[in-house]
Amino acid sequence: MLDSGLAGKAAIVTGGSRGIGRATVELLAAEGVDVTFFYRDNVSAAESVVTEGRARGLRIEADRVDIRNAQACAAAADRVAERCGRIDILVNNAGMIRDNQLAAFTDEDVQIVLDTNVGGVFNMARAVVPHMIVQRAGKIVNVSSVAAEKGGRGQTNYAASKGAINAFTRSLAVELAPRKITVNGVAPGVIETEMSEPVRDLAGNDVLARILLKRYGKAEEVAYAVWFLTSRFADYVTGEVFNVDGGYKME
Amino acid sequence: MQPTVSKEEIMQVFPKVAATMADALGCDIEDIKLDVSLIEGLDAESIDFLDMVFRLERAFKIKIPRGKIIDNARGELSEAEFEQKGVLTPVGLAQLRAYLSEVPAERFREPMKVADIARLFTPETFCKLVIVAQRETKPA
Repeated sequence: MLDSGLAGKAAIVTGGSRGIGRATVELLAAEGVDVTFFYRDNVSAAESVVTEGRARGLRIEADRVDIRNAQACAAAADRVAERCGRIDILVNNAGMIRDNQLAAFTDEDVQIVLDTNVGGVFNMARAVVPHMIVQRAGKIVNVSSVAAEKGGRGQTNYAASKGAINAFTRSLAVELAPRKITVNGVAPGVIETEMSEPVRDLAGNDVLARILLKRYGKAEEVAYAVWFLTSRFADYVTGEVFNVDGGYKME
Repeated sequence: MQPTVSKEEIMQVFPKVAATMADALGCDIEDIKLDVSLIEGLDAESIDFLDMVFRLERAFKIKIPRGKIIDNARGELSEAEFEQKGVLTPVGLAQLRAYLSEVPAERFREPMKVADIARLFTPETFCKLVIVAQRETKPA
């Protein structure tokens, strides 16, 4: 068996109670990572991740944090550093959609998506990077989306937020390379999660027609890419955004 | 008013500041002289400054707000009185000279860009930063 080097590391995963976040939490924890995941609303989902994980002997903690609040992010990251002694991995997964035609957006439809998807990534990176700089090591993975590069109706807010994450990933990779901290992204296509349910319900056939592999992805299939980018196998990868989309074509 | 710091106070914190800086810069503690230029003498880069600040915060259990050195140097001057379009005003430069009193006069350029201020920093600059932060952390 190859050793991923993950056992004994400490990780933070945002948006870890459901979907891709949950799959990532469970996969990293199964590799021996001490995982703290942040969640905002769904207490019962978060509790079930913790309870089920612990029943399997995994080290999983949950912390209710609104990543739109920079101070809350800094305090929560400090709590993890206090408990684990370090923070090796940050997975910026939390994100949301609020799809609509641009002309029909309310101010809030635009702001809440940008604040969560982009602001949250900034807040978490600013909270965790000081720890990684001092450690001279760390791996950051930002969960982007195929929407960043390929247009989709009703998704200008979401697409813009994910495009920002790709640009953020490349610039932060440059900044942190001198401290051997890698920064990469994973861009999922349409994955079978609660978040993509409206898209799959509304435009399922159109969407499937654009996917070369003719099926939706599974949350675990994205988690495997995150796992790779946090493992020692990706020590020489930085500033990349890795697509996990079944071969998604432009409309 | 710029904060005033005595030589005695500086010498009190210097050993710990020097050890922390040596860790951040990956150099020998003997290389950390009170008056060496961090950029020109010790090859510090911008990320090293952040590293030093984060380590000092931990070592001394203090909080150093980002941009604090410049804020301390500026004292009660407004931003516009201190600098115009990224270049220090004559009053701003005089204020900076007074704050960085440990830095030899010939190292101040004229005109002096705000972006070049960090080139002047020495370990003593960071000792002062720590002392001021300690005062602000402790209840009056």
